[in-house]
Amino acid sequence: MLVTLLQAAPPSNLTYLFAAFAVSWAIFFAYAFFVSRKQQEMEREISELRRTLEELDGKEPS
Amino acid sequence: MLVNLNTRTILLGVVGLMMIADLWLIFQVAPTDAVLGNVQRVFYFHVPVAIMSFLAFFIVFVASIGYLVRRTPGWDQVAYSAAEVGVLFVSLALITGVIWAKPVWNTWWTFEPRLTTTLILWFIYVAYLMIGYAAPSREKGALYSAVVGIIGFIDVPIVYYSVVWWRSIHPPQMIGPMAEEGAIESGMMRILLFSLVTFLLLFAYLVWQRSSLRRAEDQFRAIRLQLRRASI
Repeated sequence: MLVTLLQAAPPSNLTYLFAAFAVSWAIFFAYAFFVSRKQQEMEREISELRRTLEELDGKEPS
Repeated sequence: MLVNLNTRTILLGVVGLMMIADLWLIFQVAPTDAVLGNVQRVFYFHVPVAIMSFLAFFIVFVASIGYLVRRTPGWDQVAYSAAEVGVLFVSLALITGVIWAKPVWNTWWTFEPRLTTTLILWFIYVAYLMIGYAAPSREKGALYSAVVGIIGFIDVPIVYYSVVWWRSIHPPQMIGPMAEEGAIESGMMRILLFSLVTFLLLFAYLVWQRSSLRRAEDQFRAIRLQLRRASI
């Protein structure tokens, strides 16, 4: 019996490849953005608290 | 502070350039796998993020021991930051693995040893992060987290050796002490090593950034406490 073997090209599956890279990048950027924004917010709140603390210290009766 | 900010910005710039170079290497230089086709290129992302998660949990392990011995907030800040970034990396290892599994194994998920032990690892470190919030005080949270950080690390070698110890459909190790020589073609190996260095720098940047935020959170808590005492 004659058997023919066909050398098929490997499947490209580009949708999966694109999905893997896109999801990874989206998560990295979202995380870096979240941490950086939180840091700015925290620094602003710290300086506000420091100002309030200084005001309280200044108002203390002698 | 200014020096730190500049060094960190430079590091971010280097990471960005290396990421672009890495993408070019992955899509233009790396040979297409003869069996798996283009989807195999996920490998250059999947393996480095998995290895970085192991590194992250090793840092958590060491810093947790440091915290239990010294009880200084610095150790907790490093441990917590590495744990959070480690969870991010292990989540990406699971996500890219799942996306890769569908075309190759024809299923999104299967409870085979490597996947199952990695999922357990993810749960352990998510629990680590949640303990800090659930604890009655910051110090208690850091203490309980440190214990989980030490015990939880046991799962890391189990994940690594799972493909050796149990019958598994997951490919064997390509890198590390159990990797077979010639398990990967030399051109692919060079690109994998470049990816590893790139992700190592990205990991360092994220841990550094997160540690700064953790320190700022501790500072905020301390000043608020001082303010409460001052206003009484």
